[in-house]
Amino acid sequence: MTKIYGEAETKVTALDNVSFSIKKGEFVLIVGSSGSGKSTLLNMIGLLDKPTQGKVLVDGFDTSNLTDNEISAFRNEKLGFVFQFSNLLADLTVLENVLLPSQIQLDSPTDDKAKEVLEKVGLSDQLFKRANKISGGQAQRAAIARGLVNNPTVVLADEPTGNLDSVTAKNIVELMKRMARDLGQTFIVVTHDRSQFGEVDRIITIKDGRAFEGEYQTEMEVVV
Amino acid sequence: MLVNKKGSLIGAVLAVSIGILVINVNSVIFQGIYDAIIRDMSDYRFGDIYVYDEERSTIQKSDIVLINWFERIPNVEAATPRLEGSATAETRIAGQEHEKFNVPVLGVDPISDIRTSTIHETVGEGQYVYARNSIVVGESVASDLGGCSQTGFFMSGGTDPTVTGDSGQDECQPVRVGDNVKLIITDQWGIDQKKRFIVTGISGTAGGQGFDRSVIIHIDTLRDMLDRSGESRSIMVRLQESVTPYEATQIKNQFLQAFPNDNLKAETIEESAESTLSGFRSGIAMINLIGYFGMMSSAFAILTIQMMLVNSKTKEIGIMRAIGARRKDILIIFIMQGMIIGTVGAGVGSAMGLGYTTYAKVTKMEFQGSLALEVNYNWQKIGETAFLAFILAVIASIYPSYRATKKQPVEAMRTV
Ligand SMILES: Nc1ncnc2c1ncn2[C@@H]1O[C@H](COP(=O)(O)OP(=O)(O)OP(=O)(O)O)[C@@H](O)[C@H]1O
Ligand SMILES: [Mg+2]
Repeated sequence: MTKIYGEAETKVTALDNVSFSIKKGEFVLIVGSSGSGKSTLLNMIGLLDKPTQGKVLVDGFDTSNLTDNEISAFRNEKLGFVFQFSNLLADLTVLENVLLPSQIQLDSPTDDKAKEVLEKVGLSDQLFKRANKISGGQAQRAAIARGLVNNPTVVLADEPTGNLDSVTAKNIVELMKRMARDLGQTFIVVTHDRSQFGEVDRIITIKDGRAFEGEYQTEMEVVV
Repeated sequence: MLVNKKGSLIGAVLAVSIGILVINVNSVIFQGIYDAIIRDMSDYRFGDIYVYDEERSTIQKSDIVLINWFERIPNVEAATPRLEGSATAETRIAGQEHEKFNVPVLGVDPISDIRTSTIHETVGEGQYVYARNSIVVGESVASDLGGCSQTGFFMSGGTDPTVTGDSGQDECQPVRVGDNVKLIITDQWGIDQKKRFIVTGISGTAGGQGFDRSVIIHIDTLRDMLDRSGESRSIMVRLQESVTPYEATQIKNQFLQAFPNDNLKAETIEESAESTLSGFRSGIAMINLIGYFGMMSSAFAILTIQMMLVNSKTKEIGIMRAIGARRKDILIIFIMQGMIIGTVGAGVGSAMGLGYTTYAKVTKMEFQGSLALEVNYNWQKIGETAFLAFILAVIASIYPSYRATKKQPVEAMRTV
């Protein structure tokens, strides 16, 4: 997959012929310096943007020919998102935020599943609080719950701890790893702070738009 | 669900409400004046149907025949003959001769006139014409005969002390009930007929729509003086309250068919008032147009506010899109918001408009002693205005909603 932003003089090759595959249930960390192309990569995997060249396959399904509506439905069913900031809709309660993904597809979803994941992330006592009235750590927990609620194929997280103090960040990391373990949930997490994550299944390093297997820049390109 | 900017939403709702209120207030005032003029023209001069001779100044046919014809019809309340003339009026108060000038004279049949017209109710002091030698003097005439005339008097329609100031105003004393008034009328053969009357009442109307500038005497007295026995200038017909304009036209046509060879012309009040009010009507159309422009500006206000709301919700739209909302879902959210603004705005605006209308009706609103507005609840107009405002609010939301669907999730996520 290649992604080029802009044209002519302003042309930026954010991703340069990146190719790799991730196994079900893997907890994958994507690391790299600022501007290396981590977010670009995650946005492509999340079908939030289209690659200039190449394609994304999810569960063996080629996503490159989906229409706009099909992409929306695909994101809703197969992908979960956790971002660095402003993950939640401020005017809704925690529970309402977690219900959103199912609400988009169904007209009258039940609370059960949402309450269940909220309990798993430790927020069962915050269900009816407004999203703008909870702490940053709680907001990320709620975002993770929302990411998990539709049982997606993969949860994509871009700097999920980037906005948190180190203790809270540690807790969020633990939560994600526990969810991955307990639910067999696949995670792809972008971070610039590798140390927060301790031991993970796999690390991919991005450097100047190119992907390398492993934590260190071994110049060994990722092999499919 | 996506948007909770209370201030902006209230602003948008107010924009709609005020647009509606302006139209409602305009229509209460201008339609109120219009209807009040028609009401007074009907009550004082033309009735619901007005009959006169097409060629001659008087109807030759016996008024008794015509009135009997009308009063046989169940929908007719009453009918009365009237005769008009002009006279030189003189008065003598405390042995002193006062002003002497020309006044229009109205001859009425006291018994049927009371049932047909409300002009007798305009007699504030004293009572209506009841005898062959009684005279009801219009307020302005009473004042003029007493030497109280002054510039601006006819316009103000009352004795406003701030307008006075002429020399000799101190001695001015308007004609009162019990005074004598002499009328000199030139009959149809050119001979002056003189007669003395006793003032039994003074008639005055708000806005001077009545006979403030005339004198009213018994129709038979006027017939005698003009030597026009049995003749009338017009027949004024009052219909039952429940009669529709369509039924009125039918009665009019029936009447014309019944008397095909008498050169008679009959008009419904709408026709009688037509020439007086056609100018006024285009004025109302103009005022309404201004109201609708106001509503258009409300629509622009909504467009701007919605645009602002959409831009301030870039992140939220991005989140919604990322977790699977389709363009259509985003569109619906903002269109719904426009519908809510439109519904609440139309509700609040109509409620305020109704409040004002009720206030105008209950207080018998008038302007500077002019005629009281004729206030009616025009439900159709109120409904149409509210509906139009709603539709405009929705239309004004279309473009901002479309812009909202164009926001890309990645772009949206970049904003902190
Ligand atoms: N929409 C865009 N238009 C033009 N250039 C872009 C756009 N988005 C990203 N880029 C460029 O692509 C490159 C990769 O950006 P990206 O956001 O993926 O980096 P990153 O690894 O996520 O960085 P950070 O750690 O700071 O978040 C950068 O040079 C960036 O300037
Ligand atoms: Mg980034």
